[in-house]
Amino acid sequence: MLVQTTKGLIERDQLIIKDIVSEEDNSRITATEWYLGDELVRRDVNVNVLRGLDLFPEASM
Amino acid sequence: MANSQAICTSFKQEILCGIHAIGTTVVRAGTTKDTIKAALYLASASLGAGTTAYSGTGEVSGANYSAGGATVTNANEPATAAGIAYWTPSASVSWSNVTLGTAFDAVLFYNSTQSDKAIAVFTFGSQTVTSGNFSLTMPTNDETTGLIRLN
Repeated sequence: MLVQTTKGLIERDQLIIKDIVSEEDNSRITATEWYLGDELVRRDVNVNVLRGLDLFPEASM
Repeated sequence: MANSQAICTSFKQEILCGIHAIGTTVVRAGTTKDTIKAALYLASASLGAGTTAYSGTGEVSGANYSAGGATVTNANEPATAAGIAYWTPSASVSWSNVTLGTAFDAVLFYNSTQSDKAIAVFTFGSQTVTSGNFSLTMPTNDETTGLIRLN
Protein backbone atom coordinates (compact mmCIF):
# COMPACT_ATOMS: atom_id res chain seq x y z
CA MET A 1 0.00 0.00 0.00
CA LEU A 2 1.27 3.44 -0.88
CA VAL A 3 1.23 6.19 1.72
CA GLN A 4 1.23 9.91 0.99
CA THR A 5 4.21 11.57 2.69
CA THR A 6 6.35 14.66 2.44
CA LYS A 7 8.49 12.61 0.05
CA GLY A 8 5.54 11.66 -2.14
CA LEU A 9 4.00 8.20 -2.25
CA ILE A 10 6.03 5.60 -0.35
CA GLU A 11 5.38 1.92 0.21
CA ARG A 12 4.06 1.39 3.72
CA ASP A 13 6.59 -1.40 4.29
CA GLN A 14 9.38 1.15 4.13
CA LEU A 15 7.91 3.29 6.90
CA ILE A 16 8.13 2.98 10.66
CA ILE A 17 4.85 3.85 12.36
CA LYS A 18 4.57 5.22 15.86
CA ASP A 19 1.26 5.89 17.65
CA ILE A 20 1.22 8.45 20.43
CA VAL A 21 -1.88 8.52 22.61
CA SER A 22 -2.49 11.26 25.14
CA GLU A 23 -5.38 12.01 27.44
CA GLU A 24 -6.68 15.48 28.12
CA ASP A 25 -9.51 16.55 30.41
CA ASN A 26 -12.06 16.45 27.65
CA SER A 27 -10.37 14.61 24.83
CA ARG A 28 -8.21 11.69 23.82
CA ILE A 29 -5.65 12.43 21.15
CA THR A 30 -4.05 9.87 18.89
CA ALA A 31 -1.11 11.03 16.76
CA THR A 32 0.31 8.63 14.20
CA GLU A 33 3.82 9.42 13.08
CA TRP A 34 5.35 7.86 9.99
CA TYR A 35 9.14 7.75 9.69
CA LEU A 36 11.39 7.04 6.73
CA GLY A 37 14.53 6.14 8.58
CA ASP A 38 14.86 8.87 11.19
CA GLU A 39 12.89 11.43 9.21
CA LEU A 40 9.26 12.23 10.02
CA VAL A 41 7.46 12.16 6.69
CA ARG A 42 3.84 12.12 7.79
CA ARG A 43 1.85 12.90 10.93
CA ASP A 44 -1.87 12.29 11.38
CA VAL A 45 -3.89 13.41 14.38
CA ASN A 46 -7.31 12.44 15.68
CA VAL A 47 -8.83 14.38 18.55
CA ASN A 48 -11.65 12.43 20.12
CA VAL A 49 -13.81 14.92 22.00
CA LEU A 50 -15.10 12.97 24.96
CA ARG A 51 -17.45 15.59 26.36
CA GLY A 52 -18.76 18.89 25.11
CA LEU A 53 -19.46 22.09 27.02
CA ASP A 54 -22.25 23.13 29.36
CA LEU A 55 -23.76 26.56 28.86
CA PHE A 56 -24.42 26.76 32.60
CA PRO A 57 -21.92 24.33 34.14
CA GLU A 58 -22.82 25.24 37.71
CA ALA A 59 -26.33 23.92 37.09
CA SER A 60 -25.00 20.41 36.65
CA MET A 61 -22.95 20.42 39.83
CA MET B 1 -48.82 18.73 43.12
CA ALA B 2 -46.86 21.94 43.59
CA ASN B 3 -45.38 24.53 41.34
CA SER B 4 -41.64 24.68 40.84
CA GLN B 5 -39.59 27.45 39.30
CA ALA B 6 -37.41 26.51 36.36
CA ILE B 7 -36.18 27.54 32.97
CA CYS B 8 -38.42 25.40 30.79
CA THR B 9 -36.60 22.59 29.06
CA SER B 10 -38.50 23.24 25.86
CA PHE B 11 -37.21 26.82 25.91
CA LYS B 12 -33.62 25.61 26.05
CA GLN B 13 -34.16 23.44 23.00
CA GLU B 14 -35.97 26.24 21.19
CA ILE B 15 -33.06 28.60 21.85
CA LEU B 16 -30.88 26.21 19.89
CA CYS B 17 -33.47 26.28 17.11
CA GLY B 18 -33.69 30.08 17.05
CA ILE B 19 -37.37 30.13 18.00
CA HIS B 20 -37.18 32.82 20.70
CA ALA B 21 -35.97 36.38 20.16
CA ILE B 22 -36.22 38.11 23.52
CA GLY B 23 -33.77 40.71 22.28
CA THR B 24 -33.55 42.32 18.87
CA THR B 25 -32.95 39.61 16.33
CA VAL B 26 -32.11 39.26 12.68
CA VAL B 27 -34.29 38.72 9.63
CA ARG B 28 -33.97 35.10 8.73
CA ALA B 29 -34.12 33.97 5.15
CA GLY B 30 -36.13 30.86 5.92
CA THR B 31 -36.65 28.01 8.30
CA THR B 32 -33.65 25.93 7.30
CA LYS B 33 -30.75 25.27 9.61
CA ASP B 34 -27.83 27.63 9.60
CA THR B 35 -24.48 26.48 8.27
CA ILE B 36 -22.06 25.74 11.08
CA LYS B 37 -18.34 25.74 10.42
CA ALA B 38 -15.23 24.76 12.34
CA ALA B 39 -11.88 26.54 12.12
CA LEU B 40 -8.56 25.63 13.72
CA TYR B 41 -6.44 28.08 15.69
CA LEU B 42 -2.79 28.31 16.60
CA ALA B 43 -1.72 27.70 20.16
CA SER B 44 -0.55 31.31 20.19
CA ALA B 45 -4.05 32.67 19.51
CA SER B 46 -6.36 34.05 22.17
CA LEU B 47 -9.77 32.55 21.62
CA GLY B 48 -12.16 32.06 24.50
CA ALA B 49 -15.45 33.18 25.99
CA GLY B 50 -14.84 36.70 24.68
CA THR B 51 -14.67 35.54 21.06
CA THR B 52 -17.67 36.95 19.19
CA ALA B 53 -17.09 35.87 15.60
CA TYR B 54 -14.78 33.97 13.31
CA SER B 55 -11.59 35.81 12.43
CA GLY B 56 -8.64 34.80 10.35
CA THR B 57 -6.31 36.19 13.01
CA GLY B 58 -4.52 33.29 14.62
CA GLU B 59 -6.10 30.72 12.34
CA VAL B 60 -3.90 27.90 11.10
CA SER B 61 -2.63 27.93 7.54
CA GLY B 62 -1.01 25.34 5.40
CA ALA B 63 -1.38 23.04 2.43
CA ASN B 64 -4.98 21.90 1.82
CA TYR B 65 -6.41 23.97 4.65
CA SER B 66 -8.77 26.74 3.51
CA ALA B 67 -9.27 29.84 5.63
CA GLY B 68 -12.58 29.62 7.43
CA GLY B 69 -12.21 25.93 8.07
CA ALA B 70 -14.67 23.19 7.24
CA THR B 71 -18.44 22.93 7.17
CA VAL B 72 -19.84 20.85 10.00
CA THR B 73 -22.18 18.00 9.13
CA ASN B 74 -25.40 18.72 10.95
CA ALA B 75 -28.05 16.06 10.64
CA ASN B 76 -28.92 16.21 14.32
CA GLU B 77 -31.78 18.31 15.60
CA PRO B 78 -31.30 19.81 19.06
CA ALA B 79 -32.89 17.48 21.58
CA THR B 80 -33.66 17.33 25.30
CA ALA B 81 -33.31 14.82 28.09
CA ALA B 82 -33.32 15.17 31.86
CA GLY B 83 -34.00 18.89 31.57
CA ILE B 84 -30.96 19.52 29.38
CA ALA B 85 -31.03 20.64 25.77
CA TYR B 86 -28.11 19.40 23.69
CA TRP B 87 -26.69 19.26 20.19
CA THR B 88 -23.73 17.57 18.56
CA PRO B 89 -22.59 17.54 14.93
CA SER B 90 -23.59 14.29 13.27
CA ALA B 91 -20.15 13.48 11.89
CA SER B 92 -16.50 14.07 12.59
CA VAL B 93 -14.89 17.24 11.28
CA SER B 94 -11.82 16.42 9.24
CA TRP B 95 -9.16 17.70 6.92
CA SER B 96 -7.26 15.43 4.53
CA ASN B 97 -3.66 15.57 3.38
CA VAL B 98 -2.98 18.80 5.23
CA THR B 99 0.26 20.22 6.53
CA LEU B 100 -0.20 22.40 9.59
CA GLY B 101 3.35 22.99 10.73
CA THR B 102 2.72 25.52 13.46
CA ALA B 103 1.31 24.15 16.70
CA PHE B 104 -2.46 24.53 17.07
CA ASP B 105 -4.70 23.64 19.98
CA ALA B 106 -8.19 25.01 19.43
CA VAL B 107 -11.22 24.77 17.21
CA LEU B 108 -13.87 27.46 16.89
CA PHE B 109 -17.39 26.43 15.94
CA TYR B 110 -19.20 29.35 14.37
CA ASN B 111 -22.34 30.21 12.47
CA SER B 112 -21.42 30.88 8.86
CA THR B 113 -24.99 31.86 7.99
CA GLN B 114 -25.25 34.51 10.72
CA SER B 115 -22.25 36.70 9.98
CA ASP B 116 -19.78 34.11 11.26
CA LYS B 117 -20.91 34.59 14.85
CA ALA B 118 -19.04 32.46 17.37
CA ILE B 119 -20.62 29.47 19.08
CA ALA B 120 -17.96 27.69 21.11
CA VAL B 121 -14.23 27.17 21.45
CA PHE B 122 -12.78 23.77 22.27
CA THR B 123 -9.15 23.25 23.18
CA PHE B 124 -6.97 20.16 23.10
CA GLY B 125 -3.31 19.27 23.43
CA SER B 126 -1.12 21.22 21.01
CA GLN B 127 -0.62 19.44 17.68
CA THR B 128 0.99 19.66 14.26
CA VAL B 129 0.06 17.70 11.14
CA THR B 130 2.49 16.75 8.38
CA SER B 131 1.14 15.61 5.00
CA GLY B 132 -1.59 13.84 6.91
CA ASN B 133 -5.15 13.89 8.16
CA PHE B 134 -6.63 15.77 11.07
CA SER B 135 -9.98 14.81 12.51
CA LEU B 136 -12.17 15.81 15.41
CA THR B 137 -14.36 12.95 16.50
CA MET B 138 -17.55 14.17 18.13
CA PRO B 139 -18.79 12.97 21.51
CA THR B 140 -21.95 10.93 21.96
CA ASN B 141 -24.94 13.13 21.25
CA ASP B 142 -26.77 13.01 24.56
CA GLU B 143 -27.44 15.13 27.63
CA THR B 144 -24.25 14.00 29.36
CA THR B 145 -21.61 14.37 26.69
CA GLY B 146 -23.17 16.30 23.79
CA LEU B 147 -21.00 18.99 22.25
CA ILE B 148 -23.20 21.87 23.41
CA ARG B 149 -25.47 21.46 26.38
CA LEU B 150 -27.87 23.94 27.99
CA ASN B 151 -28.43 22.85 31.58
